[in-house]
Amino acid sequence: MTQIQQPATTGPGTERPAPSVRQPTFQWAAGPAIPLLSVVIALIFGAAFVLLSGNDPIKAYAALVQGAFGTPYDITETIVAAIPLVLTGIAVAIAFRTGLFNIGAQGQLLVGALAAGWAGSQWPTLPGPILMPIVIVFGIAGGAFYGGIVGLLKAVRGVNEVITTIMLNYTIVFVMHWLLQAGPMTAQNAFGTPASTPIGAGARLPIIIPNEIVLFSRLHAGVLLAALAVVVFWFLLWRTPLGYRLRAVGLGARAAAQAGIDPARHMILVMAIAGGFAGLGGMIEVSGVFGRVYDGFSSSYGFDAIAVALLGKNSPLGIVFAALLFGAFVHGGAYMQSHAAISSNLVAIIQACVLFVIAAEALVRGLTRRRGHKPVEAIA
Amino acid sequence: MTLEMLVGASVFAATLRLATPIALAALGGTMTERSGVTNIALEGSMLVGCFFGVVAADRTHSVGVGLAVALLAGLLLAALHAYASITLRADQIVSGMALNILALGLTTYLDYQMYGTTGTPADLPAVPDLHLTFLSGVPYVGDAIADQNSIVWLTLLLVIALQVFLFRTVLGLRWRAVGEHPRAAETVGIQVRRLRYAAVLASGALAALGGAYLSLGVAHSFTDGMTGGRGFIGLAAMIFGRWTPVGALAASLIFGYGNALSTSLQGATIGDVRVPVQLLGTLPYVLTILAVAGFVGRSRPPAADGLPYETEGHA
Repeated sequence: MTQIQQPATTGPGTERPAPSVRQPTFQWAAGPAIPLLSVVIALIFGAAFVLLSGNDPIKAYAALVQGAFGTPYDITETIVAAIPLVLTGIAVAIAFRTGLFNIGAQGQLLVGALAAGWAGSQWPTLPGPILMPIVIVFGIAGGAFYGGIVGLLKAVRGVNEVITTIMLNYTIVFVMHWLLQAGPMTAQNAFGTPASTPIGAGARLPIIIPNEIVLFSRLHAGVLLAALAVVVFWFLLWRTPLGYRLRAVGLGARAAAQAGIDPARHMILVMAIAGGFAGLGGMIEVSGVFGRVYDGFSSSYGFDAIAVALLGKNSPLGIVFAALLFGAFVHGGAYMQSHAAISSNLVAIIQACVLFVIAAEALVRGLTRRRGHKPVEAIA
Repeated sequence: MTLEMLVGASVFAATLRLATPIALAALGGTMTERSGVTNIALEGSMLVGCFFGVVAADRTHSVGVGLAVALLAGLLLAALHAYASITLRADQIVSGMALNILALGLTTYLDYQMYGTTGTPADLPAVPDLHLTFLSGVPYVGDAIADQNSIVWLTLLLVIALQVFLFRTVLGLRWRAVGEHPRAAETVGIQVRRLRYAAVLASGALAALGGAYLSLGVAHSFTDGMTGGRGFIGLAAMIFGRWTPVGALAASLIFGYGNALSTSLQGATIGDVRVPVQLLGTLPYVLTILAVAGFVGRSRPPAADGLPYETEGHA
């Protein structure tokens, strides 16, 4: 087989001073105009779709809004659904800011959940003030480990992070099957659903809304951890030298290298940090919502996270709003299905449209701005 | 654990069955990436192939129409990807992700609206099996593997045809040239965009054939998300097979074998230890990571893979 010899930008055996990074495609000008527009377009498309399939779009959207915000309870549930999206959204966004595409937030979240679930059930009798920090550290460390693998392979072997993250997402699903169905973490009495042993009381995040205010609310202290994570994300990227270097690598790895910043090292670092955020998200789900790790829980947070990060323009506040919007979709969608008889999967269609419009926007902008610019990365 | 569980004739038959949809997705991936366009929406193309194939077969009671509509559905989804990534030069990963989510949402939504909770009808026409008499003579495995769905045999033919096409024909050479160095290809008069469109559309149709195989050939029904990531395993097989059709088939067979083992080894023990069959599921992904990292062979993508191309002098 003859191949035209041109240096591959990724792949093994390619000696390069610095691995290439994704160009900052998604760092468009300030302002919420484009994200809002993409949501509006997506909602219109969704409405047209409902209409075409013989249903009433106004009824559908009314039910969606009613379901997401109709009662105080629903509002707290929407927030509960948004929490993991905030953390995985940050995991995607911080990598984007460094020029990497982290499709692996899903897997990182699961590893964090497994690590936290293991630690929480390993020492169930420890008091909260001791056990809780342990569980948090395990969650973050688990995710950071899984993200770090991606960064390491990228930095050392030039492996495209898109490939590794997709593969690792699926790998952990099967490892999880093993751990929870017939492995060391399998609970003896899980009532048919494969799950881990319940975590100790000290590892449970408390409900922060008392029953007198919102009856049966599930809003847990994880919301505070998520808020803290948003602040840390902002502070880290925009108020520390490390954040400056990460963003410099994202804006141009070669220029950063010229300025004495080692892109490879920062890629390993940022993927570990990204994984840490996602892992914390997994820990919060285990400690705040389920109390144990269920096999196959959280099947789509990681993919929603990409939409959240892109819609939120990889910025702290943007991510919060986007996560709340998607949280509303998730919680409201269930109500829509049961009360308006319209499949909650309408929500997925709307989300896909949001993503597609955003992708199209980035490139319409690219047509005008980046002409003559040569992208440097090959994606396999 | 018995030897039968590892190398029984039925394990090989299952391997062939399980490898087929993966191989079709991998063929699709190989065709599109050889032309320089990444298409992670193969999973989505496969899924719409599954679903719309079933819908069409149900409505027309014709498996031929079902197959045609399945291919068309996969092709249409791929067309969206082609438009976004070739004409609009969008980020190919974001576009692909969006289309995967769209495919899952769309099929699940329509499945709920059309078939509710009862599921697809039981009297769906099926893609017939094809008994290859001459294979029955093969010792040991002959009887087990000679009876397969027609699409299995079609897939094997496609592998050979596409291998010859890519590496032994002029158009195949052009195809690869566009994926390696589009500028040079265009300089000698090759229509880069047109060829890339053809490649992406072909990939969607191939993946959708894999989807139709799952729903009309094997399951005779549609269930939500029934592709279960096979499109992504196909991408893994493409990489592990080093972007060649024959390699993709070989990789798919390895992955399919792992898959077959996880069924046949169910409940098996070595000494007192239960075989962790679930871990066999990680095989495709771990092997692929090792291959891309250069620990198992070397796997190099086409040089211009995933890069948007802008025509010289494009206004």
